Amino acid sequence: MMSSASGFGKALVIITGASKGFGRALALSIAPRLAAGSALILAARSDDLLQQLKADLSRAHPALTLRCAAADLSCQAGVESVIAAITHSDPDIEHLLLFNNAASLGDVSRFCGDFTDVDEVNSYLSLNVSSALCVTAGVLRAVPRRSGLTRVVVNISSLCALRPFPSWVLYCSGKAARDMMFRVLAEEEPELRVLNYAPGPLDTDMQRQARSSSADDALRSSFSVMHAQGQLLTCDQSISKLMQVLLEDKYTSGAHLDFYDL
Amino acid sequence: MIFFDSVHEMHSFLSESLDIKRHTLLRCINTQHPASLKAASPQHPNMENEISPEPRDLGRALCIITGASKGFGRTLAFQLSCLLKPRSVLMLVARSAEQLNQLKEDIITLYGGQNKLDIRCVQADLEKKEGVEKTVQAAKETSVSELDHILLINNAASLGDVSRFALTFTDPAEVNRYLSLNVSGALSLTAGVLQAFPHRLSLRRSVVNISSLCALKPFPSWVLYCTGKAARDMMFRVLAEEEPDVRVLSYAPGPLDTDMQLQARRFSGDLQLRRSFSSMFSEGQLLSCETSGAKLMKLLQDNDFQSGAHLDFYEL
Repeated sequence: MMSSASGFGKALVIITGASKGFGRALALSIAPRLAAGSALILAARSDDLLQQLKADLSRAHPALTLRCAAADLSCQAGVESVIAAITHSDPDIEHLLLFNNAASLGDVSRFCGDFTDVDEVNSYLSLNVSSALCVTAGVLRAVPRRSGLTRVVVNISSLCALRPFPSWVLYCSGKAARDMMFRVLAEEEPELRVLNYAPGPLDTDMQRQARSSSADDALRSSFSVMHAQGQLLTCDQSISKLMQVLLEDKYTSGAHLDFYDL
Repeated sequence: MIFFDSVHEMHSFLSESLDIKRHTLLRCINTQHPASLKAASPQHPNMENEISPEPRDLGRALCIITGASKGFGRTLAFQLSCLLKPRSVLMLVARSAEQLNQLKEDIITLYGGQNKLDIRCVQADLEKKEGVEKTVQAAKETSVSELDHILLINNAASLGDVSRFALTFTDPAEVNRYLSLNVSGALSLTAGVLQAFPHRLSLRRSVVNISSLCALKPFPSWVLYCTGKAARDMMFRVLAEEEPDVRVLSYAPGPLDTDMQLQARRFSGDLQLRRSFSSMFSEGQLLSCETSGAKLMKLLQDNDFQSGAHLDFYEL
């Protein structure tokens, strides 16, 4: 019997960008905290990687319902397929947790003055901003408020939501937009638990892209140094704090919390 | 504080606004001659300190204003006209060619041939790629040799559907369209203009983002507007970090008495918010575009703001 302090009970959990990096680690970390009969929906573009993850999870957690939604969230069909994956899920749950994790860095090898193509910027915002809003709206409509159900929406944020970094205009703007979006949501829906979680500098493919491609020399150096000096966090380190925050459930809805604040 | 006893009175007041503009402009022109400063106006006492007594002009500039056809953009067009040196180019961008041409005529009427401004109207929809490209192209066609200032005012914006709450935005196409005008368009236009007029000594380059309190604070039923403004503020902060020679300012103008404000008080889905907009209006707490614009003019003239800063009308 899982105590509520260490687990979420019977839950419906949705993770976008679940195929690798933080999203994948999140799936592996949260699975043991879910009671039998819970459902875990894994969304990402790569069906292969999702199926692999599903196989790994189902071996370790046979009592969980696992579903993959291979979808490109930058388009309507992708958003809809995530929503479709949650319909017919067991409504008798005590927790709904949506992790808006899917994201891209954008082309960090270029500066503001190089983004003259509106289509490119739109495409970036479509994945990193619009899809987070639309997936969240779709999920919350599909699993409406009711007593006995705690609904939690997590936005995987970043220091970049708060501070500008040279050569990172798309990523910073997208993260700033998302934080505000979720703050508005928190204002509108007081029973929802909304958290903007900045996970810290994680040792992932995205980080590798950051240290190899950032156009700004000083920034690129500092990423390299972090990596070389072992200052990057493992996903598990960061997730462990996130889980603690969610389980304690004391954060102010709409707050921006950073790994290093906790 | 302005109290209206009737809608009729309000309409009269608003229709006088062109007279106020004319008065402001005449004072502005007259301030070229220090002797005229002594004459305070009994009819419009509030106007007295709005234009700097010693106008530092904004140089021989290419000044681009988006969303110039009405509201704040239109007011800025008048006010900037005063501060641009002769043979500057004032480029007015909006979707309505008719309103832009009317604006151009009004500016010429008020000035006569005095300021020798080259006023160009660019009809463009900045929600679309073609609109952004057309505007950048129009800017490129400006001969730069005599210019000492490029001033871009990113003012064009939309409120989005404020009658609805975040959970109703399930269609990515709708959100994308909103972001295309309010975020992407502003970035790509700014990028295009800065590329067209690269850094060189003796060329001042200024980029203004018309921002909002909504860039900093969330408002219920305003998810698109708040999200867009937050994105823009960050965008321009990154620009300021990257380009120390570009003067970047996010200016939050305060609650202006415009069509956008009308939309806010009529349609906001959140009841409390709608009520507070209505009472701001009925209690005369809305700002005229002229009052707010004058503060922006001063910021641009003083030119000592920290690049990338967010400055609000009420802080200045």
